[in-house]
Amino acid sequence: MDQHAERGAFEFTGSWREYAPIAFTNLLLTIVTLGIYNFWGRTRTRQYLWSHTRFIDDRLEWTGTGLELMLGYVMVFVLMILPLAGIQFLIGVLAAQGSTGAQIAALMLALVFYVVVFSLGGIAIFRALRYRLSRTYWHGIRGGSDDQGFRYGLSYLWRTMLGGVAFGLLVPWALVTLWNKRWNAMSFGPFRFEANASTDGLMGRYLLFYLMPVLLVVVGVIAGIAAAFSGANATAAVQSYGLAIFLVGFYLVFFVALGLVSLYFYSAYFRQAIGALTLGDLEFEFTARTRDWLKLMLGTFALVVCTLGIGSIFIAYRNWAFFVRHLRAYGTLELDQFTQSTTRAPGQGEGLFDSLDMGAF
Amino acid sequence: METHVWHYDGRSGERRMPAIVPTPDQRHFLLEGDGAEPGPYAFADLTPHGSSHHERAFGLKGRPGWRITFLEFPPAEIAVQLPKGARYGRWIDRFGLWRSVGVLAILAALVVAVTLKLPPLLARMIPQSMEQRMGRLLVGNLGGYACTTPQGDAALKALAARLRQKEGVEIHVVQAPMINAVAFPGGQVVLFDGLIQSAKSPDEVAGVLGHELGHVAHRDGMESLIRQYGLGLLFGGFDSNVGGYGNALLNARYSRKAESGADGYAIGSLQAADISPMPTAALFARLAKEDERPGNAGLMLNYLSSHPLSSSREQRFAASVRKGARYTPALSAAQWQALRTMCAESPPRQSIF
Repeated sequence: MDQHAERGAFEFTGSWREYAPIAFTNLLLTIVTLGIYNFWGRTRTRQYLWSHTRFIDDRLEWTGTGLELMLGYVMVFVLMILPLAGIQFLIGVLAAQGSTGAQIAALMLALVFYVVVFSLGGIAIFRALRYRLSRTYWHGIRGGSDDQGFRYGLSYLWRTMLGGVAFGLLVPWALVTLWNKRWNAMSFGPFRFEANASTDGLMGRYLLFYLMPVLLVVVGVIAGIAAAFSGANATAAVQSYGLAIFLVGFYLVFFVALGLVSLYFYSAYFRQAIGALTLGDLEFEFTARTRDWLKLMLGTFALVVCTLGIGSIFIAYRNWAFFVRHLRAYGTLELDQFTQSTTRAPGQGEGLFDSLDMGAF
Repeated sequence: METHVWHYDGRSGERRMPAIVPTPDQRHFLLEGDGAEPGPYAFADLTPHGSSHHERAFGLKGRPGWRITFLEFPPAEIAVQLPKGARYGRWIDRFGLWRSVGVLAILAALVVAVTLKLPPLLARMIPQSMEQRMGRLLVGNLGGYACTTPQGDAALKALAARLRQKEGVEIHVVQAPMINAVAFPGGQVVLFDGLIQSAKSPDEVAGVLGHELGHVAHRDGMESLIRQYGLGLLFGGFDSNVGGYGNALLNARYSRKAESGADGYAIGSLQAADISPMPTAALFARLAKEDERPGNAGLMLNYLSSHPLSSSREQRFAASVRKGARYTPALSAAQWQALRTMCAESPPRQSIF
């Protein structure tokens, strides 16, 4: 296959008008089934999004089912959430017991509880990716992984903790190495994904994110002192009024600035992560810059606010369209070597992932 | 004219374009040419794939990745054999969208109605002895913090007797600064010392205790436990947003109802015991005022959350005063003094807070 730099190997051909009937009937059916239809609704959405995503010369195909997603959820509910709720109850009882021994036991139990839940989060991320790849077909070939993700869960635990130690300075390292670990365990057809992302170019942006609050607080304090001095002979009412405006303004600046800087970091991270990903002779690239992410976020925000929340049924559509439109692939794919994946297809969906409510990647 | 289809065999990614040829019995077809595995394949084994109407792709049962895709509408003799594409899901497709929505909406309303009625029903089905065991598990450990003096215990007993305390109810006074009282399942009532210290008369304590005894009589503690742990889990699941809001609404609705039910019970038992409800009304008036004062919000919020507004409770207690009734104090001066000094005189082993 030739290079597809011109048109791009990926193309999204959906339109929101075409998707709207799916979104609205999903919402309707989800309401009248008290949420149960959600699993089938999500499946319909994915079928639409995948089938309107062209890669080179054919569309992707989503073959997952609503039943799989529901079974995944039920399994997690029975195996994880019920025991965890029981443990939580036990912690409460122990903590109220009063004796020192019981309180230490409660503390230990709480610690174990936290560690287990955290590792489960890591496993969830891994298995959701595995499930999605195993249900994604192109040219009749699917992806997958033979890895169960338990080792990844442990890795997720200690890397994230280490990332947080050292004043959070190792967070980019943890993010990138976990991305590599996750994708290196995945394959599509006969080829393994190879992820070699590094923290090159990320640390500067991360430090900006890291130092921004400190900087803002320093600026804020100086501004506050200056305001206090200049307003020394104003009346108390005017002073407190000015202080209120100052605090609101500071709050807004703080979170807007922090949001912008985190977006600035995240866009670089995503470009780096996907740019270092290969599959066989295919190389990938992600072209969204910070301003593209900003447009996506502001658009979604406006959509949800202006429609009093109903617009949120289009969020999955917007995110997918954004993702595909900024995804590029280069290189060649020899179709005669492109044979079916031999990985074991998981029996049920991303249950843990659902219940922990995490994002797509 | 031959009909060609795009074909993947699910083993390699190579795309073939064989002709699809029905066999004479019309139940099977062959894929001829371009290196495709000819078959025969049964039409009945085809499974619809793809979600949009202009796309006619089919898989084959037991052959993941096997696909044929029609590039144009297939001729009639093939089209009649092809399975219909799924749209909303099997059952809904069969009944039609609007009919399904109607039936499902009725079912949903029924489920919600049953769900609302379920916790009180379940709470009543749980045997008293089991509830008492649970209550002791939850509260029994507070025993270590409970304040106890012979005179104080006697005063508490006298107060409870005046309010016609039912059998199996245990009342504890616990050293904690909160102006609050709690009724746990199994008839375990806890009065915090903060409440007793802030009370201006024993009648106020009687009002609050009457309220908690109302919770015990209505078995609200068990019901709330079932609601929080049982239904919370069940509901919270399917769609976290819908479930979360629904549950919060249900809980708020329920707890207001339970609180006003307990208030009604308290008013009834104050009346039966000839204790004036006015001091309790005054307590709520103070709480309402405290609530407005900024500094004290943390302490108060705990009491007020999920309770009816203090001011409306004040009005209700005040309205229950009978003209010309002869009210007597809930406790004698000596008994009241014993209750107030209970925690100071029997310092618990350690304070909880």
